[in-house]
Amino acid sequence: MEYNNCEKKDIEHFESIVGKQYVSANPAITASYMSKAIMGLEASMGDCVVRPRYTEEVRKVLIWCSDRHIPVTPVSAGLSGGFSCPVTKPGGVVLDMSRFDRIIEIDEDNRYAIIEPGVTNGELWAYMKKNHPKYIPPIADGAPPAATVLGDGIDRGFSLVTSSMGPQGEIFMGAEVVMPVGDILNYGSMALNGTKPFYRWGLGPELFSTLMGSQGTMGIVTKGVVKIFPHPHFKTIKAYAMGNPHDMQDLTLELGKLEFGIAHNTVMVQGGNWPLVMTRWPKDKVPHDYSFYKKIGVPEWWMNWEIWAQTQEELDIVTKTIDKYAEDFKNSDRCRDPDAIKEWKLHPKQIESRMKKPNLIAVPYSYWDAGFLFITWYVPWNESADFAEYYNGKLRKYGFPEVMWIASIERCRQAICMPIVCFDSSKPEDFQRVQDMNRETTEYCIEHGWINYRPDPYIHAPAIYSKAGTYLKYLRKVKEMFDPNYIMHPGRLMLP
Amino acid sequence: MERLRELESEIYKCIHCKACRFAYSGEPDKEGIGLHVGTLGNEVLYEGIVQSCPAGIEYGWEAYWNAGKMWIARAVLEGELDLKTQGQEVADVIFPCITCGLCSSQCENQIPTVEVIEALRAAVVEAGVPLLDKHAWMKNASVTKNNPYGGPKDQRTKWAKDAGFGDIINKKTKIGYYVGCTASYRQMNIAIATVNLMKKLGYAVSIIDEEVCCGSPFFRTGLIDEATRGMKRNLELFKDYEIIMFSCAGCYRTFTIDYPKWTKKPNDFKTIHAMELVSELIRQEKLVLKSHTELDGKIVTYHDPCHTGRHYGEWFKERIIAESTNLMLDMRKVSKVQDEWFEVPRRIIKAAPSVTFNEMYRIKMDSFCCGAGGGVRAQYPDFSIRTAHLRLDEADAVHADIMLTECPFCWRNLDDANTKYEHGMQVMTILEMINKYDLIEKFEKIPIEEALRENHAELHMKDKPRKKK
Repeated sequence: MEYNNCEKKDIEHFESIVGKQYVSANPAITASYMSKAIMGLEASMGDCVVRPRYTEEVRKVLIWCSDRHIPVTPVSAGLSGGFSCPVTKPGGVVLDMSRFDRIIEIDEDNRYAIIEPGVTNGELWAYMKKNHPKYIPPIADGAPPAATVLGDGIDRGFSLVTSSMGPQGEIFMGAEVVMPVGDILNYGSMALNGTKPFYRWGLGPELFSTLMGSQGTMGIVTKGVVKIFPHPHFKTIKAYAMGNPHDMQDLTLELGKLEFGIAHNTVMVQGGNWPLVMTRWPKDKVPHDYSFYKKIGVPEWWMNWEIWAQTQEELDIVTKTIDKYAEDFKNSDRCRDPDAIKEWKLHPKQIESRMKKPNLIAVPYSYWDAGFLFITWYVPWNESADFAEYYNGKLRKYGFPEVMWIASIERCRQAICMPIVCFDSSKPEDFQRVQDMNRETTEYCIEHGWINYRPDPYIHAPAIYSKAGTYLKYLRKVKEMFDPNYIMHPGRLMLP
Repeated sequence: MERLRELESEIYKCIHCKACRFAYSGEPDKEGIGLHVGTLGNEVLYEGIVQSCPAGIEYGWEAYWNAGKMWIARAVLEGELDLKTQGQEVADVIFPCITCGLCSSQCENQIPTVEVIEALRAAVVEAGVPLLDKHAWMKNASVTKNNPYGGPKDQRTKWAKDAGFGDIINKKTKIGYYVGCTASYRQMNIAIATVNLMKKLGYAVSIIDEEVCCGSPFFRTGLIDEATRGMKRNLELFKDYEIIMFSCAGCYRTFTIDYPKWTKKPNDFKTIHAMELVSELIRQEKLVLKSHTELDGKIVTYHDPCHTGRHYGEWFKERIIAESTNLMLDMRKVSKVQDEWFEVPRRIIKAAPSVTFNEMYRIKMDSFCCGAGGGVRAQYPDFSIRTAHLRLDEADAVHADIMLTECPFCWRNLDDANTKYEHGMQVMTILEMINKYDLIEKFEKIPIEEALRENHAELHMKDKPRKKK
């Protein structure tokens, strides 16, 4: 596909649409939108940045770019961890959606919020805490305050209630999307003009799924409707220590299956291994030996259950059930290391810290060295231990600390497994090691039917789509229908 | 580029999470004071996390927020931006930054963002990008007159002579008072209040008529040659004093934090801000303040100057990290040191019986800047004053009648915004308030050494002997 760079006439046209002060071709400004961390290690610079404020402005920019074959890479204010969809092929327009920052409506009865793509976790959290304190927005757990609610949602991440309520992708109730040809498409029940966004599946068949995980390749979301959830006041964290990932997986699965009761109260179920603690600090400033972490009470493996309940009684039932199941599991022949199964009594400050939303919990892994990469995979829950063992082996082989984080999605139907690769991103040789490991593990993971979350455009996307066959054929047809000139975020996925 | 390269491993720690744009980025549930509509109609929700990077708020582009600048620095290091050909474009976005350091205080990866920005500015200057006009003017003034205001050299101590303090010039005392350019040529009221107070409390101080600019404006704006020229001269001039006292936050920061970094050795003297001495006298119950009818019922608030507040907080943390062998244990010391440090000015205010002290929402490590620093007041006056106005809005939100601070440069900017945007507030330094309203009821002198940082805030940095089991 041949693309054009932005020329003077293009810049002038964008200025006529959004105003001169909201268009810049300053290379320092385009450089400032780069990100080579967390979810992908490559980024390029666009030719210019355009910052629209209204849907009509987006529409006009896209029509122009489509006619002129100029690539468009949208960015909201940020995804979990930071900017995650930078320009992958040099040039074109970076469409900065951060001025779309309005909270349009909160409907407590129908439990949805209508917001724009630049609304951040921090802003929506503060707004609802003040004005709708009985409800919480579906912000991503672990995503920093500057990440956007819609960005994380459309990226199919996990929210603060994902372990109970399902993946982040399911929070959407509708959206307004500008297509690259200039059409404005409403999804969900909003597709019927004037209808409330109460029914996610719209007029059927439903088209919005084609935007999920699309990495900005299909269209620009200018308004989104997301579910909000009750925010009960009885909350705690229950944590159990385990000696290996299999015990962690199996005990957690038993509790996850207690649906219509216990499992629905466990809004966030997440765990991992002790290097998760160690690598939050500089590598020359903390002990590397497990004995220190053992001494300060950090288990080798653990699982946290964040529990929300309407009453203390309900909360007690859940915590006692977890205790009972842990005890039963410990005494069963399914348990591989009974001695290691014990409650990890958390300090109230640790509980408070873990329940804080939004938080910066995922951020300090750069502190270990100078950069990190989340290589995140979705796997069936009952294969998460195999994943952890396999991946930790590869981290060891390539000389990285064995850092593994695992969370339950929808009551252990799926696991989101996230090895955290801590490395020095200023060193080309480290960068190469990461990429070599990523290639090797990607082949293995795909063979096992595991699915990458937020695919890397150079490793995961080619590997996955090369095996997608008919699915890819139809995905390309969808892409051609929405974006006939392929202007949207070229290079990000294989569309092309 | 050398300094920028030295900081490479710090720059590469940035993951573009953008927590650095907020105050209280780690405290989403912090209770606040709700929505406040400012005098120009702009709304701020003082609850939980609040956007607080002045340049980002003013200009909006990603490049003006700190994270954008970290990625510009990385693009320069990786050759994606060439300062020889694109230096002007880089300069355009990195100079409107007040270097307030809010970003640094929020960074979970502990990136020394202010140092990175200063190094990036120095690299731009080194690449031959023409100096911004006001920065060039300041440099020329400093080269020719030893101060960035262009004040005549022989007028530097005129304020002292006019105030009847001619007897403290060029004297040999234990304490040297480094007045600084702003208090020498602009806010002489602060210099006068400081000397007056020291005289009342019985501490002999000397000033030096050959004193030159501390270099702060030049360290901050990448003009390292001029900064270090002033530094060398001052180190020579003040070498015979045991303790150097300051009333300017910027000068205090520069002498204490910048000088040893650039000379790579400790200073020959100790440094202290005058407020530390007053605060310690109060802590030891040696100084008692009295009421004044003009202050009765007044609500005061306190603006932490970035240079004596957050920059010191970060510096304490940096030292704890550098000295630690197990940071998981030692990091706990940081908040204790910082808490004690930020209590220094507050202790004085709380001891003033006439006034009610209402804290603003963003304070201490999360304080919102006054907008004056980093070469911004000179080069971008409108942005600078608008930032001070936003700070005064915050003071309005807690019904303050008096905005206290402890820096002449903050004073200047806040007072200008107070006038321009009609906030109707009174701006003064704490020591000025004590002096102006004659608030000293009684006092008893203590050795000044007891007020040094090492005897209050820095005490918490030392390891306590571990109990044997």
